[in-house]
This record gives sequence, structure tokens and C-alpha cells, in this order.
Amino acid sequence: MPGVNGPLIVQSDKTLLLEVDHEQADACRRAIAPFAELERAPEHIHTYRVTPLGLWNARAAGHDAEQVVDALVQFSRYPVPHALLVDIAETMDRYGRLSLLKHPAHGLVLTTTDRPVLEEVLRSKRIAPLIGARIDPDTVAVHPSERGQIKQTLLKLGWPAEDLAGYVDGEAHAIELHEDGWALRPYQKQAVENFWHGGSGVVVLPCGAGKTLVGAGAMSQAKSTTLILVTNTVSARQWKHELVRRTSLTEDEIGEYSGTKKEIRPVTIATYQVLTTRRKGVYPHLELFDSRDWGLIVYDEVHLLPAPVFKFTADLQARRRLGLTATLVREDGRESDVFSLIGPKRFDAPWKEIEAQGYIAPADCVEVRVNLTDSERLAYATAEVEEKYRYCATTDTKRKVTEAIVRRFAGQQILVIGQYIDQLDELGEHLGAPVIKGETSNAQREKLFDAFREGEISVLVVSKVANFSIDLPEATVAVQVSGTFGSRQEEAQRLGRVLRPKSDGHQAHFYSVVARDTIDQDFAAHRQRFLAEQGYAYRIVDADELLAG
Amino acid sequence: MSSPATPPRSLAEALRGRDDASLAALLRSRPDLVTPVPTDLTQLATRAGTRASVVRALDRLDRFTLQTAQALAVAADPASYADLLGLMAGDAGDPEVAAALPHALHQLREQALVWGGEDRLRLVRTARELLAPSPQHPSPTGLGPAAAEAAAGMSPGRIQEIVTTAGLPTTHDGVSAITALTGLFTDRRRMTALLADAPEEAREVLSRLVWGPPYGQVTADPAAHLRWLLDRGLLLPTAPGTVVLPREVALHLRAGRAHRAPEPLPPAVETGTAHSPESVDAAAAGQALTALATVEELLKDWDGGGPAVLRAGGLSVRDLKRTAVALDMPEPVAAFWVELAYAAGLIASDGEADERYAATPAHDEWLALPAPERWTRLVTPWLTATRTPGLVGGRDAKERTLSALGPGLDRSAAPEVRHRILTLLAALPRGTAPHPESVLARLHWERPQRREEDLRTRLARATLMEAELLGVTGRGALSAHGRALLGLPAPAARPDGEAAAAEPSGPGDKLPVHHHRRPAPAAPLSSADRADASAAAARLLAPLLPEPLDHVLLQADLTAVAPGPLQRPLADVLGMLADVESKGGATVYRFTPASVRRALDAGRGAAELQDFLTAHSRTPVPQPLAYLIDDVARRHGRLRVGAASAYVRCDDDALLNEIVADKRAAGLRLRRLAPTVLAAQADPATLLEGLRAMGFAPAAESAEGDVLISRPDAHRTPPRTPPEPVPDGPPVPDEALLGAAIRAIRAGDLASTTPRKPSGTPLASGELPRTSAAETLATLQAAVLTAEAVWVGYVNAEGGASQRVIAPVRVEGGFVTAYDHTADEVRTFPLHRITGVAELADD
Repeated sequence: MPGVNGPLIVQSDKTLLLEVDHEQADACRRAIAPFAELERAPEHIHTYRVTPLGLWNARAAGHDAEQVVDALVQFSRYPVPHALLVDIAETMDRYGRLSLLKHPAHGLVLTTTDRPVLEEVLRSKRIAPLIGARIDPDTVAVHPSERGQIKQTLLKLGWPAEDLAGYVDGEAHAIELHEDGWALRPYQKQAVENFWHGGSGVVVLPCGAGKTLVGAGAMSQAKSTTLILVTNTVSARQWKHELVRRTSLTEDEIGEYSGTKKEIRPVTIATYQVLTTRRKGVYPHLELFDSRDWGLIVYDEVHLLPAPVFKFTADLQARRRLGLTATLVREDGRESDVFSLIGPKRFDAPWKEIEAQGYIAPADCVEVRVNLTDSERLAYATAEVEEKYRYCATTDTKRKVTEAIVRRFAGQQILVIGQYIDQLDELGEHLGAPVIKGETSNAQREKLFDAFREGEISVLVVSKVANFSIDLPEATVAVQVSGTFGSRQEEAQRLGRVLRPKSDGHQAHFYSVVARDTIDQDFAAHRQRFLAEQGYAYRIVDADELLAG
Repeated sequence: MSSPATPPRSLAEALRGRDDASLAALLRSRPDLVTPVPTDLTQLATRAGTRASVVRALDRLDRFTLQTAQALAVAADPASYADLLGLMAGDAGDPEVAAALPHALHQLREQALVWGGEDRLRLVRTARELLAPSPQHPSPTGLGPAAAEAAAGMSPGRIQEIVTTAGLPTTHDGVSAITALTGLFTDRRRMTALLADAPEEAREVLSRLVWGPPYGQVTADPAAHLRWLLDRGLLLPTAPGTVVLPREVALHLRAGRAHRAPEPLPPAVETGTAHSPESVDAAAAGQALTALATVEELLKDWDGGGPAVLRAGGLSVRDLKRTAVALDMPEPVAAFWVELAYAAGLIASDGEADERYAATPAHDEWLALPAPERWTRLVTPWLTATRTPGLVGGRDAKERTLSALGPGLDRSAAPEVRHRILTLLAALPRGTAPHPESVLARLHWERPQRREEDLRTRLARATLMEAELLGVTGRGALSAHGRALLGLPAPAARPDGEAAAAEPSGPGDKLPVHHHRRPAPAAPLSSADRADASAAAARLLAPLLPEPLDHVLLQADLTAVAPGPLQRPLADVLGMLADVESKGGATVYRFTPASVRRALDAGRGAAELQDFLTAHSRTPVPQPLAYLIDDVARRHGRLRVGAASAYVRCDDDALLNEIVADKRAAGLRLRRLAPTVLAAQADPATLLEGLRAMGFAPAAESAEGDVLISRPDAHRTPPRTPPEPVPDGPPVPDEALLGAAIRAIRAGDLASTTPRKPSGTPLASGELPRTSAAETLATLQAAVLTAEAVWVGYVNAEGGASQRVIAPVRVEGGFVTAYDHTADEVRTFPLHRITGVAELADD
């Protein structure tokens, strides 16, 4: 029976609106989470979207169409359009009609439970080069090297294949979690379990929710040699540090494969950058993938995975793959490649929920609107189009406001984050704080980060090199002065810097200093969208108030 | 009126014998017979027998009645009821057929397709011709011609041979031989005996032909088993190489049945999934709401002037596509909504020179109605509309594309099909969806039309889809409000869902209760009844539709969510202030600087908007939203743009004060923009003049701000070369013409001054000279030779008469070319227009 006054409203564009204050909201959220992607989570109404990928994710997780339809009908406030239910059932039904299996005699094969579907896809020009001989009416051989390709192509054709061909175990290597004085949080355990059960896939956790530990947990399950792909060297070091601390692995067992070091050890951490370095049209570091019999490949920050890595990943389909990310939203829209090449989403917890459990610090997000002076406005108006953002993002007025904020939080651990080096240098000079930028040597960075962690320095000015995976748990205030234009995920990452739970349960502060009535404000609005949708309501404060108060 | 005792001898007499009610029934079922009203029954009978009318009547028969007519067409004329029953039920009999036959026959009689007593049933001749089998038109019965017909062209010798071989005595003539043969064929016992001796292959051949088509091919030298059949007349030749199974033989083999499968009972509408009536009504109501939203959205999209009307009428493919994209639906569905709005009178062509579609005034009234009434105002016209959006995109007989709202979309069968389908759905238990194919089968049984069969099926499919789109049905089953719309009483609510079994119209679909085959409520409603039905439907629908809300939820991500339909003024303002991001049960609005600016442009103030949001939000207005509105409002209108034709500027504001205060300046419409600037609506020249008239001494200013020195400037072009002569001028006149021209010039003044030589009859002043044609020709030819001018009377093509002095140059081909002194040019005159000619008087 449809709920007379359910918490859910099903829209004709296949978005689901969930009224969070409703008494059944929690039950409803649990019912729809497996198949609907949380798109926005502002204070009153959360928006979920039902996409084919989401429905297939649900199928991969063992849910069937009936459960999905039941969930919608049960919680919906208004009658659910019949056509939508039919469409959902049909879409879900498309998953699993085709599957990739390991055939004892023929190796990798594509089989079907529905012959016309097989006939349809075999007729596709894009499938033809990927397959071999027809074994029987329902089965066709697939070149083992094309396992990733065929999954990608089938998804594009709308008939995603279930990959049941299994994985190679890889070279065994003992890895245990050292749970002394700490333990995996329940949601981390759940994430590891879901991943291991599913074989391969993506775990979505907010920044600061301990994705590294999910990776470590997965490694302790796999107990095999592991290749970890991370965004940059600092992050690589962080991973290494964390793994040494949390697992039975020792320094010597973990190699770093980056621009400076080329170590290949049982657990190797490589950066995307080194993998995608091209010389004379070839990728010289590709051999890394074949250098050992890896049993597990971990992709940190999946949403940033560069296009060439997808290509390599297509060839690694026989190995277990774990993707870690804070968001499946990719600015380039390649979510379907993540689905077909790394795997379906295996775990997902909304940001606010983890915050509510106390695992990430609550944050106070403030947008400080700065009025430019008349002369600055004139200069802004006459600036070249491509220089406009740079100009308004780096005005003197902003610097003064930034200094005022830093002064206000004197005594706390403060990060000042920006895009433009000149601006950062200037800020560093005025604040008397060290600056970490691209040219800062890794050793120097480590040293400064350590000093910051220890509280020896309380203000650190960082460029975008610190966007990712730098563990600075004691930072409580972040001041963003400029960013990479309107990048939403950058904003999320930067907020993540201050979300690590504080030892004293202190609230975190995130200030974004924005020049009013300029393109800076437009970009800021765009950047904030993701967080606002995640339920981080920005307060807006006039700079004058702040300076006065 | 003839006495009912004597059997009628013609259809007219039979009609004469019918009472008024029965005649009324005839005219009701065949309305084409009354237009125009026939003068007497003979004329009515004649008209009822015309081919067009009979075809139309046959097309409207249900399958069993049609089968009955087909059987009559292959029976003897006249046939007895027993004969007919035999043909329909076969030798073995069939209780269902026997029960249904009287009703079918009654139908045929009522429609004046059959007349005569029970012992002398006669199918109207035209119907018989249409239904009787012929080589060109094989009958659906699969029967061939009767033996007598088939044997008509055979030689008497051959007939006698056949008769003898069949074991009958010879007769003296062919006619009696055929009669004897027919007698044998229709005698079941003797036929059985005859066929018992048939070779196995021969029986095989017969069994192939028995259910039709009855024609077969034979070679010039047929095989033995075929020869056995041919020799006994069991196969008769129709043309070289072709044989036919005579009707009597086929009937014997079929055990007397004219139809392989008589269908006395309409196929039952199979029920598909059953839902609870409540969930059906709720789903239908939800869809009804969506329907309203869709139409409103369509009209909103067209609000500022819809797409242009094609020259041939209708909507262009591109506009339909655009509308479909705007409504986010496939084009055929968009075509349906457009047509629906059109049928409901909400949109129409505006009839301007540059014709466009636009909302009608009725649309504004419609918008003001409560939702249930708005729904009935859409659905009631849909029930009766003959327009069929499903045809959009197809092509008509002339291969022209049929466009939405365009001509050629009317199908008269549409309302009847819609009504019938909904009535069939109404007969099912509440909440039960039919199996669509069985509905189509049932419809096909009721009208097994041979023509346009495809159309009815398409209409039926479209009806099922459209009913669902409109929310008349929900999850495939007829909703309570949909039922009310048909004027059917709401069935008593029974928990077990068996309610419908007790309804009067229910059993008619499953049991052979034939007087219910034409369901009583199937008759279209009168307009008063329809209004009642609409009101009843609206009453039932009203509680199912969510109550319009007076509040929204505002969120910090700059969205507003209306968790249900909004009250109209609220929805209108919100629609202006924010962009709609997602629609459905709820509406999600997003505030953007552009959308806020739009509201400000529409004359709302920032404070007013803030108040509006505060008033309609259950929660406090989120700070980013308040900032957004204030920020946009702060910048809104800071720059002002207006049009002025001229300006006055002066460093001395006192002087400007003086000008503005001066009454004489009123006509210049001056407005003070700044202390030292006035804007004027008058153009600069008028302004200058006006100010001068007021005693000032203004100076004009150029666009660059310099004082214009007003000195009459001579306007010069840049250097130019003179134009080249265009060589293609008038042709150089040849010598003869030149000569004629000169002569004519000389003669010119002669014409005006010289008195005319009196011809045969003296001409009155102003009268045209008149001479015979031969004389005219001779005089003109002479004038050419002598190069003299002559005086002619001439009537031009418009009939205007004139007198001219001409100097003929040549006379040929009925034309005279001459220098016309009167017009001062060389012209050509048709001789027949010259009334006469006179020589000029010598001086």
C-alpha cells in the first residue's frame, strides 16, 4: 500500500526527494540507498537520483527490481508513475543477462541467459574485434586481454555484463592490521567487507573518514602483493606512514614509485603522475603493472583517475581493484568507466551521517564577502578576460581580510590555502608563516608538516599541492583565498583538510574569502555547490563585519 | 400499408410492414438513409439497397452477424431459417450458434439487409453481390460458386458425361442434368456413398480445397485421381488449367457449415493483473495531476506566442520536436498533448497574417478552475474528439506528411472506439486491468471491418495509452473517476472484488445474453448527461488530488522544494523568482542570480521578495538565499537605460531650471537627468526650434560633442565616372521604318489640318470611318505603295474607339505596321480592329 504520507516524492526526472525530518526518513533512506545515488543533501530535502548505473550497482549488490519498486511504492507520498516503475524494472533486468565467466576449456567467455541479447551485442561493430569463436548458441569466447574493453563497450550498449570470471590470487604476502589501541570503525569494516565480498569496486567515503584504513583493511584481507595508486608524492608518503603504523608491514616492504624513487616492493605506492608520464609516445612506467604478480590494486581518489590509467586498468581486470573516493562525481563525466573498469559502488556513507557519528569534525563554513576598493574595481574592470580571476582572487583587500581571520584564530592550527604562488608568498610574508608550494622539496614539506603537527608552527600557507591526502589532524581552521576556478571537488578536498576529528572535539572552521561582485564570487558559488548539497550550509559574512567584530 | 398476412414481395413492402419503432431503429443504425429524408418507403428501400449504403451497413456488423449474412449469401435465395441454421451450425448443430442466430438475424432485418418471412429469408441483392463468392472476391467462407454457376459454360455433352459417371441417369437437357447433379451433391447419404469410392489421393485433394480457397490448378493431362473428381463433377473447370470445388460439395465435406469457425460469442476481455481499486484510483489521480501539469507546461511554453502555423495548417516537425524536448517526452506523446490542448479549446491559431498558435481566452478561464474541473475539461473533449494524434508523422493518401494540429487527422471512428474500450474496461471488476490484446480482439469481433482494420486497432491501442496518460485509467484499470466520466454508476464497493459480476453490463461480456451485446450505456451521452458525468467525475477525483500547498521548503543550497502542488499565485511567483529544476509530485526550484533578476525585472522589490519567501517558507530563509536576493537587488537597476531623441546640456543649472519651468517647453517633453542635462523626446531639430522660439540661443552638438556649425553644405559624391552606355538599346529602325517615319512626320500636320476627302458616305464629326474589310485592305495596301497617310477608325482591345492618321509601312499576316501620327510612333494594328479607312482629303 502506498504510504499515505510517506517521506519520499518520486519526480518524473527520476530524482527522489526525501524529506529528512519525516519520521520514516531513516527507514526510507536505507531502502533507497542501494540503488539511488545521493545527489544533494541540504537541510530539509535530500535529493537522490536513480540512474542506470545506480540500478546496476544495486543489481551487482544483489538487489532485485522488486525490492527497488517496493521501496519506492512503500515510501512514496504520491502514486509513483507506472511508467517509471516499468522503466526501472526493465533497466535492472538488463544487468546480468550477459556475464563473463571462466570456462574450463575455452578460458574467458561471454554467456547469456537471453539469446537475443547476445545476438544483438554480437552484431555491434564495436564488440566484433573483442570476441573469438562462438562456442555454443549462448556462449562466445572473449580474448582474455579484452576483458575490460568488452565490459566498457557492453555498458555503452546498455547491456552491462556481470564479471564472474574471478581474480588471480597474486603473489601472497602476509599483511595484518595492527589494531592496538585503535580499531576499524564500524563503517570502515562494513566497507572492507562489502568490497571483499563483491571482489572489486569503489568505496565512497567523505574526506577525513579514514579511506586509507579501508585500503589497509582490504590489503589485510587480500594478503597479497599490492599496488597502490595515489595522486602525488606527499600522499604516497602519507600512505606509507599510515600503513607502517597500522599494519604488520615494515618500511622495507613498502616501495615508493614516484618521480624521484623507483622502488618496487611487495607493497608499492605509485603516483598517477609517474604512470602517465609519456616519453616519445610511450608510457615508460607501464611495466610497473607487470613487474609483480599483484593481487590487489588500490586506486586512491578514483574521481581523479587520469584517462590513461583507465586504459591500463582495462588490462588488469583479472586483479582485484579497490577504488577509494569521496565522490563519484567526475568533472569529466566518466563515471561509467569507473563502473565498468574498477567496479560497482560497494559502499557509500553520506558525509553528514559520519559526522553525526563523530568520526569527522563538524565544520563551520563561512564565505567572507570582501568589497573591493574603487581602484581595485576599476583595475578589475579593465583586466584582460583571462586575468580577471587571478586579479580579483589576489587583491590586497582579500589579503587584509585573511590576515584578520588568522589573527582572530590566533593560537589554533591554521592552514591558509591558495592557488597563486605570488599571493601565497605575500601572505606568508605578512603572516610570518612558512609557505609550501610546488617547488618546496619533499623533505622540506615533510619537515614543515611535522612541525605543524607538533604545534611548533601554528600557521601554514599551502598551495594546491596540499589539496589531497595530507594528514594534518590538528588543523582546525582553513582559510581559502583562491582556488582552481570553480572546481567542486577541490573545495571538498580542502574542507577535508580540517575535518579530521580533533582530539578535543573542537569545531573546525572553513573560511572562503571571496571578492564581491566579481567572477571570484561566481566560482565560489560553483565550488560550494557540492558541499552545500552535502549539507554544509555556508554562512555569508561581510568582510566589514568581520573586520569590525 | 399492406396487410401483414401477405408475405412482402420486395424490401419496400417489407419496410412498409414494419412499425415506426422498427423503422426508427433502422434509421438510427443506418443514419445515412435519412440524409436527405427520403420521400417514401420505396425510395428508402432503394437507398437502403445502394452499394455505398450497404457497404457501410455491412462494415458496422459484428463478426457473428456478418458471418450470418455471409452464410445467407451462399445459401439459396430465398432461404429458410432452417437452411440458414444448417449453414451456421452445421449438420451436427451447435447450441451456441442456435442461441445467437435469432439475434443476428434480427440485427440484419432491423438494418434492412435481410427481409422476408422465416421461410423466405432474402438478403438484399446488393449485399448478396458483395458477399457472394466470386473468383475476384473470395468469400471469407472459403466457398466456391454453386455447381450450376460453375457449370454454366460447359458443353452439354460434357455435362451429360459427368452426370452418367456420377451414376445418375442421363437427361434431355443441360439444366435438368445440373439440377440432378446438385441434387446428388446436396444429398448427404448418396454423396457419402459416392465419395466412399474415391481414391485416397482424390480425398486428399478435396480436403485441401474444402476450407478454401476452393480453386486449384490442374495440368492439361490431369492425374488419375483428379480425373476421377473431374469426371464426377466434384471439381469443375473454371478456366483452362483451373478447377473449383463446387459449393455444394464443399458444404457436404464441411458437414453443412458455411464457416469453419462460427463465432457466436464475443471473445471475453481477459483480465490481466488485478490491483486494489484504491491503488488504481490513486495511480490514475497521480497521472491526472501529471496530465494537468503537462498541459500547463505546454501552454506556458507557448505563452509568449507559440510556434508558427504551417501554410498547409498544423505544426512543423521542427516545432513539434522542440516542444517534445521542452516537455521532455517523445514526439508522439508531445503530439498527443498538443492535440489534446487543441481539442479542449485551450490553444488555437491566432488568425493573424503571420499565423501562430497561441493560448485561447478559454485557457485563462481553465487555469482558474480547480484541478478536478481542469481535468474534466481536458478529458471530456478527448472522449468525443475525432482527431487522432497517433497519425502524426504518417502520410496521407497524397503522400503529404500529417502534422500535429494539421488537417487530415480526423477519424470518425475514434470517439466510438474510445467509448467502447472504456465501456469494456468498465465491465471488468474494479481495479482489474484487461489484457490489451484481448480488448483488441473483442473490438475486432465487434467490427470485423474488412477495410481500415489497421486503423481501428491503432485507435484502440492509442486509446489504451492515452487513457493511461490522462489518468482515466491507472495501472491499466479504469479508475472510479474514469467510470463516472462515462456516465456509469459507481459499482457498490465489494471487498472481494466480485462486484462487477453482479453488474448488468458484466455478464454480457462473458455469457451469451444477447440483448446485452449492445450495452445500454454505450449510446453516446447527451450534452446534459455529459456535463453531469463530468461533474461526477470531478467530484470523485477531487479527494484523490493532493490539496494545493501554501508553503515551500527553502534550503541553503539555493533550492526550494514544493512537496506537492502549489496554490496558483504562489506557484506563479515562485516560477518567476526561481527556475524549475525537477517536476513530478513535488517541484524543485533553484534560485539563481538570473532568476532573481527576472523577478526584479517584473517589478518586484527585494524586500517584497524576502517577505514573500518568509511568508511561504516553513523554515527560516537560509542566509545564502537572502544574500543572493540582496546582492542581485543591490546591483539591479543601478544602471538605467532609456531612450531619448535629443538632449540639452548646460553648465548653468539655473538656466535649465528656467527651461523646465517654462510652459512652452511642455511639447518638447523634457526631463531632467542630472543638474546639467535634460533629455527630450523631441528630435534635435524640433528641440532647437522650440528653444529658439522660447528665446534661447541653443547650438547643436555633434555625436562627438563639438558644436555643429550650421552652414548649408553642398553635398558632393566622391569622384565618379559617367555611366557607360548600355548597348542593348532600342533597335536601330530599318530603312523602311525610317522612311515611313519621315513620311508620317510630313503627313503629321496634314492629319490635323487637312479636311478629309468625303468617302462614299459622308462621315459625321467624330464618327469612325467604315469600310468593308476588303476595301480596308486594298486601301491600306495602296497607301503602302503610294506612301501616303490614311485616316482610320480603330477599336482597341478594351473596345475604345479612336480615329487615327497612320502611314502604313507594310501590310502582312492580318496586321498593318504603320507610323501613327496620332501617337507619334510606329505601331502595329490588327486589321480586324480597323473599322474603316478613308483617304486624307487633298489640299
